[in-house]
Amino acid sequence: MAGPINNIMVYIDGSEESMAAAHYAIALASSTRSRLEAFYVINTKALNDLVKARIFLQEEQLDYEHDLREDAERYLKHVGELAQKKNVRIDAAKAVGNVHQEIVKRVKEREIDLLVIGELSHIRSRRDEFYDETERAMRAVSCSVLIVKDEDRAWELYSGL
Amino acid sequence: MALVDLIKKDVVKVPLVSQTKPEIIDELIDILYNASRIKDREDVREAINKREELGSTGLEFGIAVPHAKTNAVGTLTVAIGISPAGVDFDALDGKPSKLFFLILAAPNQSGPHIEALAEIAKLSKSRTFLTALMNAKSADEVLDLFRLD
Repeated sequence: MAGPINNIMVYIDGSEESMAAAHYAIALASSTRSRLEAFYVINTKALNDLVKARIFLQEEQLDYEHDLREDAERYLKHVGELAQKKNVRIDAAKAVGNVHQEIVKRVKEREIDLLVIGELSHIRSRRDEFYDETERAMRAVSCSVLIVKDEDRAWELYSGL
Repeated sequence: MALVDLIKKDVVKVPLVSQTKPEIIDELIDILYNASRIKDREDVREAINKREELGSTGLEFGIAVPHAKTNAVGTLTVAIGISPAGVDFDALDGKPSKLFFLILAAPNQSGPHIEALAEIAKLSKSRTFLTALMNAKSADEVLDLFRLD
């Protein structure tokens, strides 16, 4: 009988927290022999919001979108290399749009049974505590969610493979 | 990382004392310099001014969001300043700007930069919250307004 975790997705956004999540997800995929995917969303929704709010000019929008696409390649490549070093197979995927919606969609499409994300903000903001896109995704996805805390421990698990 | 994680007492200044746009920019940069968030004020000034030349970051309702990518920071960095009297910042509505968010990001951290700016865009939709911020008398009061008890 298959175990409870067969198909893991780790959300990467380039933050240190998401890198800790990647370390942990690789260790978990190795120990459970699960399929693992790294997923990055190019947040064009935020870019559009910034142009609408007139904080960004059109040319900034193009410039930053280019940066985000480069970031996606860089961070997914880095996570791929981390997995390869430990002989763990990992698929990399990216999407363009609204972060939490794309995560929810991908989880369904790929029949993910565990979403791994980095630690959320310690401080609860008075102002729309659900603004954080990762937190929104955590609440909206159909699968279980593992929030990785303790970056040092995540690194230990990974380096111990 | 949420904007609220970056807002610490040492990067909030109330009141700002400058009276012109260049002076306000310098005063905001000094907040970060004095809080040891940046070492090179000139690099930051150049990056901010370059962005301002493309178009003022003074928005409506008294907010201004000067921002830039710069190698002068290794991580997303924010300063907040409040000028009760207001300063002419070439704002979109032609009115004085009172609430300033200075946002700096390293060139390879566009994601967090965009998310911080998007949070500010969202905050700016609440006139009540903006009014409360602009009337804050101290850095502690600003922090309280951003956080839940």
